[in-house]
Amino acid sequence: MIAPVLSLEGLNKSYGALQATRDVSLDVVAGEIHALIGPNGAGKTTLVRQIYGSEAPDSGTVRLHGATVNHLSVPQRVRNGIGRSFQISNVLMEFTVLENAMVAEAARRGEAFRFLRPAFTDRGLRDGAMAILARVGIEARGKTRVADLAHGERRLLEFALALAGDPALLLLDEPMAGAGPEETRHMIEIIERLRGEVAILLIEHDMDAVFRLADRVTVLVEGAVIASGTPDAISGDAAVRAAYLGGDDDVEA
Amino acid sequence: MELLRILGEGLARNRLLAVILAGFALFPIYTGIADLPFWNDLAMRIMILGMAAMGLNLVLGYGGMVSFGHAAFVGIGAYAVGISQFYGLDNGWIHVLISLFACGVLGLVIGFLSLRTTGIYFIMITLAFAQMLYFLFVSLEQFGGDDGMSIDRADFMPIDLWEPLRLYYLIWVALLLTSLFLMVIVRSRFGVVLEAIRSNESRVEAMGLVPLRFKITGYVISAMICGLAGTMFASWQEYVSPDIMHWTRSGELMIIIILGGIGTLAGPLLGAVAFLLLEEWLPELMLLVAPAYAENWMIIFGPVLIAVVLFARGGLGGLIRRIAGGG
Repeated sequence: MIAPVLSLEGLNKSYGALQATRDVSLDVVAGEIHALIGPNGAGKTTLVRQIYGSEAPDSGTVRLHGATVNHLSVPQRVRNGIGRSFQISNVLMEFTVLENAMVAEAARRGEAFRFLRPAFTDRGLRDGAMAILARVGIEARGKTRVADLAHGERRLLEFALALAGDPALLLLDEPMAGAGPEETRHMIEIIERLRGEVAILLIEHDMDAVFRLADRVTVLVEGAVIASGTPDAISGDAAVRAAYLGGDDDVEA
Repeated sequence: MELLRILGEGLARNRLLAVILAGFALFPIYTGIADLPFWNDLAMRIMILGMAAMGLNLVLGYGGMVSFGHAAFVGIGAYAVGISQFYGLDNGWIHVLISLFACGVLGLVIGFLSLRTTGIYFIMITLAFAQMLYFLFVSLEQFGGDDGMSIDRADFMPIDLWEPLRLYYLIWVALLLTSLFLMVIVRSRFGVVLEAIRSNESRVEAMGLVPLRFKITGYVISAMICGLAGTMFASWQEYVSPDIMHWTRSGELMIIIILGGIGTLAGPLLGAVAFLLLEEWLPELMLLVAPAYAENWMIIFGPVLIAVVLFARGGLGGLIRRIAGGG
């Protein structure tokens, strides 16, 4: 059997008396979109941080392609195939769109630690950067400074940067947060297009988006997994309805 | 060949820097004709301080690391000359090598220890290291302690520095090389990543790069440039004391950078010109207007600095670029 792209086993994390992650185990297999949902404060972002490496679990293992990565730093995990978008778009605000992608391209090629040739006039870097931008369809905005971009475009750029290193696993932390209906539709389209290319762990509050995109859904409440399964199974799960979706509400509404 | 192309293209994109460097190259012709040798002396001081400020600007302006202790590296560079001579080493080229090496190692150690912190903690740690070095040299009696030590103008064979203009052009060449070196690296992939770290360190990490590696490298380079400025300072002043490492000297370097234009190549040089000219002229001006307060020329200088920070975005360099139109 091929090891899942991401595999968490018995992850625990406490901050003082608050247990943010309780014995979490889950798999993200190649090509799937795995949604992680749960009420505010359920510990979704804390879990993502432990996968990404910016937070160390108290116990438990994080495996990437079957190999333990607990001891690896963020940059090392990125080089091992993790890409991430953040709750608040995390891009180089003072740079242009193309310059953002060029820095990512230099990093991807392992050429960042070079001192002689000018970076931004390099044809090879530029071509690679354009390809990175084309993947989310914002290559036409290359010359725009990021500070002047609309929220949605900034989000797309962040997607492009997260994808630049050809990750095996993409961590998307609330990509629809703050987006209008039009932008949300566009974002769903782009994530849909990535299906099969890269395994995605998607944290999202927009249930509409979750149930349209996810192959599997895991529900986190107070740091613990209370249910995991297909969207249909989850929307019919009584425990999920009680704990998270608030009694009789229709999940798909 | 490629290096020449890169340098040419870089100078074409940094005309202000090229103009200032050319200005310093031609300045002694003017002072020679007008018979104003004192101004050569001032110009040398400006070039030395400008060089140190350029070094600091690599971490402060480009890398966004507010180091409040860079005068220590200038001091180490100057003491490298004094102490070498104390032990009978008179060759100026060797002084330069010793100073670059000492500042490189010290920059590596201080950078390694302090660059794990950011913000106010980083400012305080760099200040603490600089103060430590300051008091170390105050306490080293064999090297003059508080009183400092006098230095013989170094022997840069085969250049005989007793001809004053030779010292001027030695300093000018050091400034030129520093400028060209910085011009190349700030546009390189390394320089671009350094700016990316200033803009957003966590995104740079998310690209799979280790920011600390770039920050330490930048810190070491900037320390070495300040060290080079220090060796030039030693030959110029023929004397060094712990005063050169005092924390107010670090503050001066920061003021020079802000005055001239932070995060630009020409900014620190322009800032050094403005700072030292104001330092020269304001007391004289005060002497005319309010003689009793001539020592308090900072009363005028303070508001000038505040005005530049508030109204001339990008410092004097930004002002010049706006007046020159676009560019």
